[in-house]
Amino acid sequence: MNWLLFAKLKNISPNIPYQNILHSSSRQAEEINHIELYFCIAAGTMLLLVVGITIYILLRFRESKAGDKRIIPGKIWELPMLIIPTVLVAVFFYFSITTMAHINPDADSRTPDVVITAHQWWWQATYPGSIEAANEIHLPAGKPLLLKLVTADVVHDWWVPQFGNKMDIIPLQDNYLWLTIKEPGEYYGTCSEFCGLQHANMRIKVIAETQAGFDTWLHKNGQAAPPNKNKTIGEELFMAKTCGDCHRINGTAAKGTTGPDLTHIGSRATLLAGMSINDKDNLKRWLKSPQHVKPGAYMPDFLLSDSSINDLADYLQSLK
Amino acid sequence: MQNKLMMKLVVGSEAIFFIALIISYLFFWRTGHFQREVAEHLNIKLTGIFTLFLLSSSFTFWMAERSYKNQKDRSMKIWLLTTIVLGLVFLAGQGHEYYTLLQENLTISKSEFGSSFYTLTGFHGLHVFIGLIILTILLILAMRGIFRRNTSTVISTIGIYWHFVDAVWVVVFTVIYILPYIL
Amino acid sequence: MIEQSENNATVQDPYQPWSGRILQCLSSVDHKEIGIMYLIMALLFFAVGGTEALLMRTQLAIADNHFLGPEAYNQIFTMHGVTMIFFVAMPALFGLMVYIIPLMIGANDMAFPRLNAFSFWITFFGGQLLYFSFAAGGAPNAGWFNYAPLNETFYSHSNGINYYCMGLLLAGIGSVTTAVNIVVTILTMRVEGMTLRRLPLFVWMSLVNSFLVLAALPSLNAALSMLLLDRLLDAHFFRTAAGGSALLWQHLFWVFGHPEVYIVILPAFGIYSEVFQVFSQKKIFGYAFIAASTVAIALLAFGVWVHHMFAVGLGNTITGFFAASSMLIGIPTGVKIFSWLATMYGGRIKLTVSMLFAVAFLIEFTIGGLSGIAFSIVPIDLQLTDTYFVVAHMHYVFVGGTVFGIFAALFYWFPKMSGRMLDETLGKWFFWLFVIGFNLTFFLQHFLGLMGMARRVYTYPEIPYYTILNMLSSAGAYIMGIATLLLLYNVYRSLKKGKIAGNDPWNAFTLEWYTASPPNEKNFDDVPLVSSRRALWDFKNPDNRDED
Repeated sequence: MNWLLFAKLKNISPNIPYQNILHSSSRQAEEINHIELYFCIAAGTMLLLVVGITIYILLRFRESKAGDKRIIPGKIWELPMLIIPTVLVAVFFYFSITTMAHINPDADSRTPDVVITAHQWWWQATYPGSIEAANEIHLPAGKPLLLKLVTADVVHDWWVPQFGNKMDIIPLQDNYLWLTIKEPGEYYGTCSEFCGLQHANMRIKVIAETQAGFDTWLHKNGQAAPPNKNKTIGEELFMAKTCGDCHRINGTAAKGTTGPDLTHIGSRATLLAGMSINDKDNLKRWLKSPQHVKPGAYMPDFLLSDSSINDLADYLQSLK
Repeated sequence: MQNKLMMKLVVGSEAIFFIALIISYLFFWRTGHFQREVAEHLNIKLTGIFTLFLLSSSFTFWMAERSYKNQKDRSMKIWLLTTIVLGLVFLAGQGHEYYTLLQENLTISKSEFGSSFYTLTGFHGLHVFIGLIILTILLILAMRGIFRRNTSTVISTIGIYWHFVDAVWVVVFTVIYILPYIL
Repeated sequence: MIEQSENNATVQDPYQPWSGRILQCLSSVDHKEIGIMYLIMALLFFAVGGTEALLMRTQLAIADNHFLGPEAYNQIFTMHGVTMIFFVAMPALFGLMVYIIPLMIGANDMAFPRLNAFSFWITFFGGQLLYFSFAAGGAPNAGWFNYAPLNETFYSHSNGINYYCMGLLLAGIGSVTTAVNIVVTILTMRVEGMTLRRLPLFVWMSLVNSFLVLAALPSLNAALSMLLLDRLLDAHFFRTAAGGSALLWQHLFWVFGHPEVYIVILPAFGIYSEVFQVFSQKKIFGYAFIAASTVAIALLAFGVWVHHMFAVGLGNTITGFFAASSMLIGIPTGVKIFSWLATMYGGRIKLTVSMLFAVAFLIEFTIGGLSGIAFSIVPIDLQLTDTYFVVAHMHYVFVGGTVFGIFAALFYWFPKMSGRMLDETLGKWFFWLFVIGFNLTFFLQHFLGLMGMARRVYTYPEIPYYTILNMLSSAGAYIMGIATLLLLYNVYRSLKKGKIAGNDPWNAFTLEWYTASPPNEKNFDDVPLVSSRRALWDFKNPDNRDED
């Protein structure tokens, strides 16, 4: 058993910008930010009160300053001790319920805009019309979207901090998340329920586009890989080395669904669920020794020769 | 007095344990098709008879306690022995039931029903078994003359445990065997 | 009136009730010796759990670090959580309870001394069994709450989780039997005059706490048994691929898990209640209020567990109900904080190390409590659960609440247990180092949570501010480690040549200070008359007795 895995090859991580849950990028997050603000004020006041009283007491009644007679506060003080927290609780409970109703109403029977399937340790996205994507999820901005969340194995969680609320993904249960992204842009998140060895490297990237942009992308993504009359060596290798048993490339004989769909892998900016930048070097590193790059991932080491790796990488990069 | 309080607390804690197991059993009622499974596999009449054996063991233990309070040593030992025998008959019945179910290929790993049924009845059976060990020790001590004078709280303390085990069975029997016919 | 019998000898040598006599240690049924064994066990596991924390913080000090790989890290963070809760906090608190309760109620031992010994040894053995997993193929690696189906054999191949189940089942038996012992002791062995309304608050909290233990552990036992059956006999409870339920595990675990956090905090509240009184030289404010709020917490504790599952998708109705109950449970705790402040108000405050920890607790626990209330507000929870904001919250309440309570108890009762005072100067160094380290580590983690860092990650990418905040957080952990070494040195040195304590070095109010330090094997030959909540105070101040 490998106890301390020293990954000798450093992955070149993509640049993820500053994250702050208070910078709302969705309508849901906006609502949650309101209640967060009110809470900050209430909690901050409470804390200052307690700290202030404590400091005052420590100064006023310290051994050298305290008199001989002890002062016992009146029992009447029990009343505000009880009433003030109760009032605060009631107020915040009301805000909670109303906010919850706004951000997370029932899904009814509306068709989801995308079905996100969580795997150990990558994301699958299925759009209406059975259009598949993996890891980088495109969504249209500016309208309410319904995400359906399912898992292929253990409990996961889908969360983009600036989108607001997260939702666990539970086996044998269909969970839903409402999302109205304010502006097009790139948004980053992460799996938020411990799901095993590579939970840390199951990052989320959402590319929000205008409706037109999204429609274009969806159409292109649904296209099969253009057929090659003269198959490249890489393409031959892909089939020969049984890669197709796990990875689907639309329009070829590769139809596997265990691993991420690779039909358009060339057009993704990142690899391995946000772990590395998608360039030829990182791809080659991965193919050379998956267990060194992302230990525990279910892709075995195929003991490929360097030239095979080079050809495969070229082929995969060409799948735009 | 301390002994009885101790046993009541232990029994209370174990009761919550059984409640957790019963709730887990009921959790799978629908998805595990328990109504159908019970009808297919379980023999309410036969298990009902063995249930009567167990319940009467509560009565016999109560008689043993009464004899002890009235300092009727020989009488107490007989009632105690009867209790143990009745308990053994119950366990034998459980064993027989498990045997028939295993013949029908209903194992703990076959389905949710298999898992839940064996776990719930199994833990109960384990508590009966532990009870029988304790009762046997009690009988041996009695035969050595420890309980000639009626000042010990041990017998009534163990009584609390034994009656508890029976009470749990009443609930378990109702949930597993009777509920499918009521719902 | 009360005779100073020859038994109340002053102590010349360090407290060594079983100096070198291993057999005495192994066979002791004396509550004082067992209490000390619990504390030593807690200390050993604290060193182990703390080392695990330092390993974790070293790995997390920089982005994309390669000090620990995911396999090692996941085992270590799991073991850190399990160790600290089950083999540090609970044994330490149980140890204090079985040592002090008989003394506080004027009894000479617990109701069931042999059961007491059994409880200790089975808990200890449970810890050994859990740690044996490292040598048996790997420690448990699915987190201390061990969610299904990740905890199933298919996803966690090593035997680690089997050891988790068995170790915790054993420790759970130890906890339940101790709780039974405590309840029977308190209800049947109080000295005459000590009605339930006159119980020292430490005893009262221990009583309520024991009922919590009795009611909460069974749920965990059920879950662990069912998981073992799944893993060893292929049962179908939590194996979702075979129709099992991931949610059932979560419910069973948290029905235990939430009361568990109150189990580790209520005794600490009891300790603070004693410490605030003695070092303000004033009786507690609002005894009835505090006692009643404790019962309220115990009852409510069983009605809030779903707040660990707000993001699971149970629907707004169920979620709303548990949001209400979770917010409600904050109120009795708030009442207590203000009652302790009111106790200090108008008193004569002596800032011993014990009192320093109590005062620090007030502030740290308020921070932890407020972040907890944040989580009871469902929309906030939905954004911040499973981030470092939770890690910050739980450590503020666990460390700022429970661990500080154990430290306060240590400095308060060490003289009674050993006959010698801990060095106050070293103690103050320890206090400040630890508090600074603690706040450095965990306050910054609030911000990491706000910046989207998920918990239970073995590494993180270079997102702005993640590295600097993590690095500072790790520095704080090292400071706490150094502080702990200082504490160990203090204990060692004080045992050898600390100032002799005498019966009542703090001028305290409760009966344990009436007898010798350390007490003789038989605690009391006689006990002062008990006619109020502060029997010893009445004894020392007959002209100024308490009324109740």
